[in-house]
Amino acid sequence: MQKPAQLKIINRFGATRFLSLNKPVFTIGRKADNDLQLLSDTISRQHAEIVYENEVYYLVDIGSKRGSFVNDQRIERIALQHQDRLRIGGDEDQQIVFLDNTVENASAIFDSSPQLTLTLSSDDRLRAASANEELQKLARFIEVNQAFKFSLTPDDVLCLIIDAAIEITNAERGFLMLRNENGDLEFKVARDRERNWLLGNDFSMSRSVVEEAFKQNRSVIINDTLESASHLARESVRSLDLRSIACIPLRRFQMSENMDATTVLKRDVIGVLYIDSHVIGGTLTETSLRLLESLAFEATKSLENVRLMHEEQEKKNLEQELGMARAVQVALSPTASRQPDHFEIASQSIPSRYVGGDFYDLIPLKDSRSVFVLGDVSGKGIAAALLAAMAQGALQAQFASDLPLTEVITSLNKVLVQRSATNSFITLFCSVLDRDGQFTYINAGHNLPILARTSGQTEMLTTKSVVLGAFDFVQYHPRQTRLNRGDVVVMYTDGVTEAVNTKNEMFGDERLEDLVRGSVALSANEIKNRILDELLGFTRGLPQGDDITLIVLKMR
Amino acid sequence: MGYNHTEITRSRYQQFENRKETNMEIQVRNNGDITILDLSGNLIIGRSEESLRDLINNLIAEERKHLLINLAEVPMIDSSGIGAMIKSFTSLRAVDGQMKVLKPSRMARQLLTITGLLSVLETYEDESAAISSF
Repeated sequence: MQKPAQLKIINRFGATRFLSLNKPVFTIGRKADNDLQLLSDTISRQHAEIVYENEVYYLVDIGSKRGSFVNDQRIERIALQHQDRLRIGGDEDQQIVFLDNTVENASAIFDSSPQLTLTLSSDDRLRAASANEELQKLARFIEVNQAFKFSLTPDDVLCLIIDAAIEITNAERGFLMLRNENGDLEFKVARDRERNWLLGNDFSMSRSVVEEAFKQNRSVIINDTLESASHLARESVRSLDLRSIACIPLRRFQMSENMDATTVLKRDVIGVLYIDSHVIGGTLTETSLRLLESLAFEATKSLENVRLMHEEQEKKNLEQELGMARAVQVALSPTASRQPDHFEIASQSIPSRYVGGDFYDLIPLKDSRSVFVLGDVSGKGIAAALLAAMAQGALQAQFASDLPLTEVITSLNKVLVQRSATNSFITLFCSVLDRDGQFTYINAGHNLPILARTSGQTEMLTTKSVVLGAFDFVQYHPRQTRLNRGDVVVMYTDGVTEAVNTKNEMFGDERLEDLVRGSVALSANEIKNRILDELLGFTRGLPQGDDITLIVLKMR
Repeated sequence: MGYNHTEITRSRYQQFENRKETNMEIQVRNNGDITILDLSGNLIIGRSEESLRDLINNLIAEERKHLLINLAEVPMIDSSGIGAMIKSFTSLRAVDGQMKVLKPSRMARQLLTITGLLSVLETYEDESAAISSF
């Protein structure tokens, strides 16, 4: 039998996928139940169809607002030819090419693996490719996040989550299961990587993995590289001939206030996100796992929103969102503080009631070098918190590939510019400390860190660089200084200097600088505590509108 | 006297909600090819930054692509306001237009400096100098 024609879809980053035109009517539009779902506000919910009649494929516009185009000509209905370029609405993000498999040479195209065009000028292409993948995942993540802004139905959102989960993990299929009234799990969405709905008899899956994730409320991963499952679960996976599985609990957080004005988070598991694959080598990285957990979290949120809308409890909705987002932020902060021998480090982050996007990290490199990252995503709420988490992941991956500071910052900026349809941007201070005290930094629009010398002099660390995610034409140039024994660098976010008291006065830059200058003799931890004590004394516990993050570095 | 925590948080929610409602006024003047936007009020999250972006999109649609944003009467800008300015600058640049800034207040200038935008956005203290720079 003749092979069906295909669409070759190349996204902005050069990642290619193929969709088989294996049905008489193949639908294209913004809604999730289309065979090809495109997320752009220039695309109608039901936009166009590819119809197969008498062995000819026709592209038919079904009354879209912004039109359909073949080789840049607007069309109503046209017979498609091999290598025709399709454009749907004003969507410039994807290149779509029609491939007729009856034409010779077409098969050669199918064998080519996804190619990445976002090049990082490094000699080691393999390492760069892995960093590049992380950037792509970040891009995909931003895309999904933006999709939530469209007025999608809950089912659309769930499909989107499953599709994104499959895509970022390279899995073959994914399920979303929710707890019903009796406390049992029920299938809600089941999709494969071609975005087809799976039917009931395709549901053979590892029950014990699902049970483990659901009952014990933890992510269960079985994989070439990561493994976190009981013996029983692993056995069941082997018997099903599956190679990799990830199952993430969907947790609902409920924030409530105690009598002593502290907030507590109560959580229960309302379902699971499950993906699996028979293919060897579909490895899950730390970053894709974190991304998957973020997606699971989004799923929970969208389901909760539906429930809350039902109850018409808007205020509770706000509380809930804040509570959940705070919990995610806490979960994503650096886990262990690694104390090397040539410097001391102390850090603390106090999330605000309006979840902000502060993030910080300490990344150890080869040759006893260390990277310090402190960033702040503009805007508040879940989108800011998650974008922060993903930017952090992308930075980790790129530094792990041993790329130089300038390249890391430049490529992160490009991805953020290309993808960010919203107004969000990131201020970032990123620095690399060598063993001998050489301190190289880029300050992309972030509050100026204070360098206090043992002599009592202070310097503000600036490179006058623009915030990340604003302009693709700007360049980032690092500066260098040498840190000597006893020197202190205090990095902070604007939540520190803009903290207000009941008289609506700000804590301010000068107060902070004086405080740092007078504390140089103390240890990193003591300096951190002294600043925080002073800050809390100033605000007298008034809840703040922004996250407060502080990192103190001191040379031994 | 102790604070009732719930009351404080409620009042801060209210402040946050009120801030969103605060309207910023924009007067539009033309000087030849150049359009001057006199902003007054805070350029912050909510309607004020949205109205700036909408207005600039409309001006672009009318082929008014040389804009001077007068910030003399804008005491406060927050990160959403900065975001709106970045977006406006980029939209104009994409259609070969230009956006420049007139008389940023002390706080606005400080924020433009920290965020590095002063290296990209041309700013002027004198309107006629700004006009003749286009």
